[in-house]
Amino acid sequence: MRTRDPVDDIAYWDCNVMVGLPPSGVRVACPDADALLREMDSAGVQEALVYHVVMQYGAPIQGNPLACEVASASPRLHGTWALLPPSTAELPTGDAFFSALKEHDIRALWAFPGQHRYSPSRVTMGSLLDEVSERRIPVLMPCSDGWPPIGELLADYPKLVLVTIGHGPWGEDRYFRPLMDAYEHLHLGISRYELSGGLAELVQRYGPDRLLYGSGYPRWSMGGPRLMLARAEIDDAARRRIAGGNLKRLLEEAEL
Amino acid sequence: MNSSKIAQAFLRTGRCEDCPVVDMHAHYGPFRGIYMPRHTAEQMMATAERCGVEAMVSSGHLALVDMVLGNAEMAEVTERYAGHWYGYSVFNPNYPGEGARELSLLEDRPTFVGLKFHPSMHEYPLTGEAYAPALDFAAERELLVLTHTWGHSSYDSPSHLAEVARRYPEVTFLAGHAGYGEFDACFRVAAEHDNVYLELTAAYAVGGLVEEMVETVGAHKIVLGYDLPWFDPYYAVGCVVMAHVDDAARRAILYENGRRLLAPRRRI
Repeated sequence: MRTRDPVDDIAYWDCNVMVGLPPSGVRVACPDADALLREMDSAGVQEALVYHVVMQYGAPIQGNPLACEVASASPRLHGTWALLPPSTAELPTGDAFFSALKEHDIRALWAFPGQHRYSPSRVTMGSLLDEVSERRIPVLMPCSDGWPPIGELLADYPKLVLVTIGHGPWGEDRYFRPLMDAYEHLHLGISRYELSGGLAELVQRYGPDRLLYGSGYPRWSMGGPRLMLARAEIDDAARRRIAGGNLKRLLEEAEL
Repeated sequence: MNSSKIAQAFLRTGRCEDCPVVDMHAHYGPFRGIYMPRHTAEQMMATAERCGVEAMVSSGHLALVDMVLGNAEMAEVTERYAGHWYGYSVFNPNYPGEGARELSLLEDRPTFVGLKFHPSMHEYPLTGEAYAPALDFAAERELLVLTHTWGHSSYDSPSHLAEVARRYPEVTFLAGHAGYGEFDACFRVAAEHDNVYLELTAAYAVGGLVEEMVETVGAHKIVLGYDLPWFDPYYAVGCVVMAHVDDAARRAILYENGRRLLAPRRRI
């Protein structure tokens, strides 16, 4: 399967890194952009999609600007914002929301419905996610709250470009493969998708375009998925897409 | 990028000739809660060979459920790959009679190098009396005992491990998952007991943990495992070779410690 050494000419873009000091849950935090860039250099990761701990564990209205600030430190870092339901109007609504995304060049969004206590359903998110879907702005969402909410979200918004994050080491293929079969815009971040032979089988079944390299750094090691993908039994074209090509394409396709 | 010769070898070729892997925590066969695409003996050996694994030690998934059926199966499978694949005999303390028989069969199972305990799954504390026959047996023969450990467990927390490690200094304990969730306590147990090693399955993924283990316990007390056929060996190896430790530590964890522990217990 392997025809040449791809180590030096495949760009790795990490879709899942967190900056800041979370209240708990990490052994070593990544306090700022400089620390993140050092770790990326060490692991051989060229670019990263970044969120700030305050987006998840604090208030998005405070955390979103912090992610912009982190991303501004280097062209290798790309900022994200966390979504909230429009009915509380904590973030700009309607056209103002998308204007703000454009102003800050935010090309991907996070949804943390468990921690932010909302239901990611049509009743709650209304036309906001219709427009996010139409603009093909990718939404990243942890699957730590379970797969049923993800299934319900996709049932309401089947065209949403959704990237599920935080797959656990216990196999979850029986949960997510039916969703991959049903929803063509569902993507999977591979951090902790460490199933032996799993990645090659997913590529064989779904193709490489819906899989994204991500680490979950600093909660998880950047090196584990990095070596796993570098040596996965897939061809180099597939490897290149999963490593960074797919994330780059998704960010470019987002219409701000 | 990481300039480690070991890391570069794995990245570029998928193996490192002067640092093969010894996997001290593997299983075998399908299991209930997870779809595993590569759980047959042939698939597992192919995975191991591809990743530069010199030897691995397994307990059968079937044996964790039914030790009589599963230990026999594991013995048969490992004997097919003698010299590369070794076994742990699962001991379930809930069945003392069958357990005693399984211990007596170990002499006739030359690929078996130790015992596997899973107190959480068997819902019986590691410190309980029903484990005594197995621990006595292991002590007399200086066997390895790989025990599941989990932080704050009622059955196999680091404090349970500390108690049996103190009682059985002749037994070499591998703390499976390094007491996941109560790492600091497990580090102390390993540091305070010469006969306790930290085993990395699942723990390897925790950011910064390999570095902490090396600093607080020492690389000589850490062994690699990755629950094959659950987890991709490269994920585990990647966490070690990309960690901010030196190549001597990487080599000790991936290879030397496991080789040293297996050497006197190999009969085939």
